[in-house]
Amino acid sequence: MNTLLKLIGFFIAATLIHWGLISVSGSWGLSVNFMLVFAAVICVFVKPEYGYPTAFLCGLFLDFFGVRLFGHQALIFTLCASIVYCLENRLDLDSPVPQLIFIFLLEAAAAVGNLILLKLFTGLSAWNGLLPFVGGLILSTLAAPFVFWAVRRAFTYKAKTY
Amino acid sequence: MKKQTSYQRKKAASGGRRRKVLPAIFCVLSLFLMILPLEGAVASIKTLLSYIFIPQIRAAHETVEYSKEVSSTIQELLDVHRENEMLKEQLREIQLERDQAREVFLENERLSASLGLQAPLKWRGVWARIAYREPSQWNSVVIDKGAADGIQERSAAIAQQNGKSVLAGVVVEVAENTAKVLLVQDEDFSAVVYATPCGDEGLLTGAGSSLLKMQYLPLFSKVQPGESVYTSAASSVFPAGIFVGNITEIEQGDGFRSSLMARVEPAVTAASMQELFILTREQSK
Repeated sequence: MNTLLKLIGFFIAATLIHWGLISVSGSWGLSVNFMLVFAAVICVFVKPEYGYPTAFLCGLFLDFFGVRLFGHQALIFTLCASIVYCLENRLDLDSPVPQLIFIFLLEAAAAVGNLILLKLFTGLSAWNGLLPFVGGLILSTLAAPFVFWAVRRAFTYKAKTY
Repeated sequence: MKKQTSYQRKKAASGGRRRKVLPAIFCVLSLFLMILPLEGAVASIKTLLSYIFIPQIRAAHETVEYSKEVSSTIQELLDVHRENEMLKEQLREIQLERDQAREVFLENERLSASLGLQAPLKWRGVWARIAYREPSQWNSVVIDKGAADGIQERSAAIAQQNGKSVLAGVVVEVAENTAKVLLVQDEDFSAVVYATPCGDEGLLTGAGSSLLKMQYLPLFSKVQPGESVYTSAASSVFPAGIFVGNITEIEQGDGFRSSLMARVEPAVTAASMQELFILTREQSK
């Protein structure tokens, strides 16, 4: 129950930050995906029965704004959560540099996955150029250490014992 | 090595199953959502989701807007601070100039007295804000000061433009706390003015347009475009030496070719006026 309440609080905070970031970065032409950073970090620290629904809900949150396709973000987020749970025991995500690299690669994979899904299901290309793509990735990635720090403070590793 | 109990083995096995079943369920659900028609089922799901997401989106939007306001307010405060520093510097310079001007004024008074001339009086009056503009034509404005502040009819109205005092108009109606100022652009406005450096006098009138007319200039006047126009000491309403504007062109004054007429571009436009300095008449002349 305590974990659920914390997750709800974090989810609301994440949506606020995501909205704030896209409001600011949108004027520079960058596409930031803070929700994925949040979902991935949550999956690092909580059990799958909390992590997968959170990732799915975060994806739905982004799908909610989409007009061309509904559900692709939820799928991508679920797959990203699977990647996190598959690799969690093989990666040491305690220090900022591995956190940055891991989130950057995950964000890149998710962005490419999104492009492929949109192309497959709608036939449309969502490619806006290399600069918005890389800029958005970098900006999202830079937030990762802060999210790791905040989530670690709320969810200790004990929460993952099952 | 500690041996696992059957309960621990079962728990580990169920944890492993969850790791496989949960993503599969969510992936299938996502794929199902992706193949649903956007107009029908998806629209209903979005409507349902809007009850969950819209409040926080609204909160997020308001937070972002508030933070933008905060940043703009901070920027304004910084600008005000910088402007304040600049104004303090200007004020110090103006205080120096005022001290020098006071000396020059006193010297002028002494010399005027020794020559038997009437020395010009200091400009005294009140600052008033423009409270209302005539919507159809901006040739008159209503100010927020009136008879209670010492304003009378035919008081001169002066505006500040680029740090210079310029003629704006004349008070034509006075109420207790408001007054109407007829601007120089109005056709009913007139004032005796002179052009400098030629020194010839003429009658300044409004033309209803952006340019003013300076009529009855001597036929053989050497007035040139670009000369500055100031109020003359011969004016019964305006104190001498208020800047009016610059001459833009010279024309034949009337059908009899007995005088010249100059077009004058006023130094201040009706749209740019925000405050006016109204001279109280007893002291303006």
